[in-house]
Amino acid sequence: MSDSEEFVPQPAEIVSTPGADVYMPNTTISGTAVPPNTPAEIELSGAVQVSERQQARRENWRLIRRRPAFIVGVFIVLVWTVCAVLGDRITPHSPLDFRVAGNGQHLSPRASYPFGTDEQGRDVLSRVMAGARDVLKVAPLAALLGVFFGVILGMVMGYFGRWIDNVLGRIVEAFLALPVILLALLAVSTLGHSPTVVIGVVAALFTPVVARTVRSAVLAERDLDYVTSAKLRGESSAFVMFREILPNVSGPIIVELTVRIGYAVFTVATLSFLGAGPQPPSPDWGAQVSEGFRNISADIWWTTFFPAAAIASLVIAANLIADSVQSVLEAS
Amino acid sequence: MGRYVLRRLASAVVTLWVLATIVFLMVNVIPGNVGRSVLGPFALKEDVARYNHQIGTDRPLISQYFTSIRRVFTLDFGDSYKSQSAVTKIIFPALFRSGKLALLAFIITIPISIAAGIFAARRQDKVTDRVVVNAGLATSSIPDFVTAAVLMSFFCVHWKLGHVFADPPSGTSVVGQLPYLLTPALALVVAYFGYIARMSRAGVINGLQADYARTATMKGLSKGAVMRKHILRNALAPTITVISVQIGYLFGGIVGVEKVFNYHGLGSTMLSAVTSHDIPVLQGAVLLVGIIYMVSTLLADVFIAFLNPRVRLETSR
Amino acid sequence: MMDYRLFDNVRRQASPVEVELVEAFAQGKISRRAFVARGSMIGLGAPLIGAILAACGSDKKTTTPATSGTTAPGGTTAPGGTTAPGGTTAPSSGSIKQGGTLRIVAQTPAGPLDPVAMADLGTYCPVTTCFEYLVDALGGDVKPMLAETWKPNADGSVWTFNLRKGVKWHDGTPFTSADVVATMDRLAGSNLKASIAAGSTKAIDDFTVEITLLSPDGQFPQQVGAYNPQSVITPKDFVLGTTLDKRMTGTGAFKMTKYDAATGATFEANPDWWGGKPYLDKLEYSFSEDLATLVSGLQGGAADAITQFSVIGGDALFNDSNIVVQSIRGAAHREIWMNCREGDFTDKRVRQAVALGIDRQALLDTLLKGKADIANDHPIAPIYPFFDATQPQRVRDVDKAKQLLSDAGKAGLAATMYFPNLQEIPQLAQILQSQLKDIGMNVTLSQEAVVDGEEWCKVYDSKVEPAGCDGGKDFGIVDYGLRGVPDVYLVKAYATGEWNSAHYISEPFRAAVKAYQSSLDLDGQKAAIKDIQKIANEDVPYAIPYFYNILFATAKNVTGIVATGLGHFYCGKAGFTA
Repeated sequence: MSDSEEFVPQPAEIVSTPGADVYMPNTTISGTAVPPNTPAEIELSGAVQVSERQQARRENWRLIRRRPAFIVGVFIVLVWTVCAVLGDRITPHSPLDFRVAGNGQHLSPRASYPFGTDEQGRDVLSRVMAGARDVLKVAPLAALLGVFFGVILGMVMGYFGRWIDNVLGRIVEAFLALPVILLALLAVSTLGHSPTVVIGVVAALFTPVVARTVRSAVLAERDLDYVTSAKLRGESSAFVMFREILPNVSGPIIVELTVRIGYAVFTVATLSFLGAGPQPPSPDWGAQVSEGFRNISADIWWTTFFPAAAIASLVIAANLIADSVQSVLEAS
Repeated sequence: MGRYVLRRLASAVVTLWVLATIVFLMVNVIPGNVGRSVLGPFALKEDVARYNHQIGTDRPLISQYFTSIRRVFTLDFGDSYKSQSAVTKIIFPALFRSGKLALLAFIITIPISIAAGIFAARRQDKVTDRVVVNAGLATSSIPDFVTAAVLMSFFCVHWKLGHVFADPPSGTSVVGQLPYLLTPALALVVAYFGYIARMSRAGVINGLQADYARTATMKGLSKGAVMRKHILRNALAPTITVISVQIGYLFGGIVGVEKVFNYHGLGSTMLSAVTSHDIPVLQGAVLLVGIIYMVSTLLADVFIAFLNPRVRLETSR
Repeated sequence: MMDYRLFDNVRRQASPVEVELVEAFAQGKISRRAFVARGSMIGLGAPLIGAILAACGSDKKTTTPATSGTTAPGGTTAPGGTTAPGGTTAPSSGSIKQGGTLRIVAQTPAGPLDPVAMADLGTYCPVTTCFEYLVDALGGDVKPMLAETWKPNADGSVWTFNLRKGVKWHDGTPFTSADVVATMDRLAGSNLKASIAAGSTKAIDDFTVEITLLSPDGQFPQQVGAYNPQSVITPKDFVLGTTLDKRMTGTGAFKMTKYDAATGATFEANPDWWGGKPYLDKLEYSFSEDLATLVSGLQGGAADAITQFSVIGGDALFNDSNIVVQSIRGAAHREIWMNCREGDFTDKRVRQAVALGIDRQALLDTLLKGKADIANDHPIAPIYPFFDATQPQRVRDVDKAKQLLSDAGKAGLAATMYFPNLQEIPQLAQILQSQLKDIGMNVTLSQEAVVDGEEWCKVYDSKVEPAGCDGGKDFGIVDYGLRGVPDVYLVKAYATGEWNSAHYISEPFRAAVKAYQSSLDLDGQKAAIKDIQKIANEDVPYAIPYFYNILFATAKNVTGIVATGLGHFYCGKAGFTA
């Protein structure tokens, strides 16, 4: 094994945190390269490579499936997905039902209302369950779009290099320097409160981050033999990029996707906490925390705690899944 | 080394220009008539036109663009629409406040996280390692405004240990300001501990794998000393990377924490600029955050290049 | 036994207006309460009023003094007083300490501290801490402030004010009539343009000012009192656009020493204040745009007082034994505007349907926990002496509402409601949405950060009626603070003012408003108001469900603060109890 790069962090784990936007083989665009992941694959020719790759993937998948972190993560995501899909059909009370008579507001958790009621008398459990839909409608799609465009951008930058890389690199770096939440707020306040706007802005601001990751991964691959042989065969750049290189970098991309989903949940929740989310009386989690937070000093903790725990659980789940995938890919 | 720095500096300047252009495009795409926003909906059309002419928004976009770029490099951001005072007078104090909080948060987080990371790495895959990793994962996943709200309600309101408003009264000594800033800083510590700990753990693990091979061939040198020297270096590099990236976030992104503690840092300044459509302040603050981010990543790159010669020698492709 | 000699004296020397008032009182046509209020309004000095009251002995028909909870805008503070519109914190047992810094949390000012152009409660607060008015129309009768006495001419079209002598600006220069003239001329172009013209204010001498109005107004002193915040008197060197934070001066009990719109402001006591040296040394204001932050600030001990808060979000304060909550009943309300000129609400039946779909009592119970008066779709609050209590109260009638909607062809109407994120308004919007669902209306909510006029005044063209506003949204909620008299609402929101978000034009209504303004006695006012109430309730350009109480709160050991529903937070006589 070669002398490892001491200062190139090969993170054993990746995590979504506030502002965490880095799966980090490098610090910046003009950083260092990454050692190849799987020496075995590089030695082989194209055709043999494919079936080996498929087998490796199946094996990886089996390993991933059995990790406890992965199971827990998927379970949490499933629970919220079910809530999102079935919505108010399975909630114990209506998430929008008002108790207008003045009693029933701010009831502490009890048998009939396990999560208590909020300041308008609505059942918090029902609202938390129904709120899953708002998050799951927006965050995964934003992450997916961001990754999609980020992959394309990163591919182009990594493969073509030279001045394309320089020019695009400067633009990407500039975008990375922009504060995501504030810009999303700005977009919402001028373009309106629709989920489309939120998805668009978040995806646009994720693209440079993903691009950077993909670029480094591509940089590692492009001087390898199978790429050279494909070029010699006369394949077009697009073919080389997306049929040859892409499958080999799919590992980091998948990890990045799951990390991005976690971060998207985070961002979307913060946005609605700041008032840029769906309009009232939506049961969106961030909006619930924002409404409940003003009563915290009156000892009314449940209106803040449960939606906040929901947000945290989804982010944790995304991270657990990302973590499992990454560990397996790393080990292989 | 010097050449590397110069190269990075040059590319940073270009990025700054690109950033300023992006910001200019963004704020000019915002629909609305500046004069109308400032003077209000009940002002006469002639007054609005006069105001627009006065501040120059009726000039062609290109000429406004050049003025805007020129002003960025002279750090002249104009006057706020809302309060009519200079933008720099608003954002630099806010910047200073954000800086104080960030500094305190890092002073607390870094030693703890690195220590935890090293501790966990040396016991890789044992129970303590898993505990540290998962605890870090959990706490970092909690949105920062939630941690802030919980800490505020327990520490400040219930137990009266901290201050609900984190802004210390003017004239408090540096030491006197600590109790005020402590609770919001703690919220940030909770959020960042996990990430930095895991990063430094990863670096140390890498280093350990190499070190065993290397120290096996080294005779006469105390294994412990070599390990200690290398371990710290390995833990440090990813940490520096993380910090440099997070700094930009700490200045512009912790709006939730600032809101909870009524702390008027750069984030909440930008927030009120957005809600009141105060374009000059928004523009200035976003650029400032961008500049900070670029400076911090530049410094981090230079430091890492200093530590690892190989980085300097590779040209960027 | 009545002292007719005194009355004869009055008749011979007083102006016709004064005589008329005294006669009305003598004949029992108006109550003792109303006589005092009206008398102070038209400048009958306190000694004279007292003498007349004394002259009319116990056989006078008087109304019982205000019971707690029913005070006119000229209401006095009952001991332990909590319900005057100029609410004060009652001095608790124990004297007031000299010295101390009072920390206050308040709404962030929304714009520059421009005394003439300001329009939000957050800005009124610091400006009115430094600057003062000609008269104090707060908790009580119209009392002297910078003017010591005043009187109208025969028909109320020319008012003469005698100014207080010896008052100094914070920078030491003396306060004279030149300052008043300069202020009035600036206001003539803006805030008071319906009442006076530029140049119509004359300085008779250094301490006397004569103001000629465009049309007679029996209530003019209210226009230069606290309920018209923009009418603060500023020094003669102020021009349009001068702001307090750039030029820190004033005549008030505290002078501004530091101001930062983001963080807060500091005021120091003015030892030369004409009202006497204040107890407190300093005021420290902290600003926030978020009510929750303000409330937690007071509760967490970061502040000693909060200038205003609402029931929603203020739960913590009600239940905290270290905090005293003050509640001011008044005329502050929310107007749910509906565009009368274009769109879906032009048909009166649609608007009435909306008004009938609202369950007002439920709003009072849920939203305001009873701290409000029910309203009847007009801006005349029960606290006004001319309030017409005979008008039947509109109550919820779902079937009738549905009927009206389908008659107008708007059954199942879909509309978007725009409202600001201010106090209880977001919750009001949500409850309205669900209440209006019952009458078949499909309301979508759209929350804005603030509602500042752009919503209904998208295009301003001074030639368009009313008030030049055009375009904008058809349906929304806007807030109105407390006023001592309803003139501001009537003129600005219903008639020709730029706050007419419903674009409502009605000649009979305007005629009634004119009649109200030009009547100098209570009977005339009552008759005009009766018309106003009737037309407003019938046409319902604005659905007005309640008049909410103004709430402010202080720590237990603070006393003497006079607050209004309009941003004033007077601490000149405030302090910490020993």
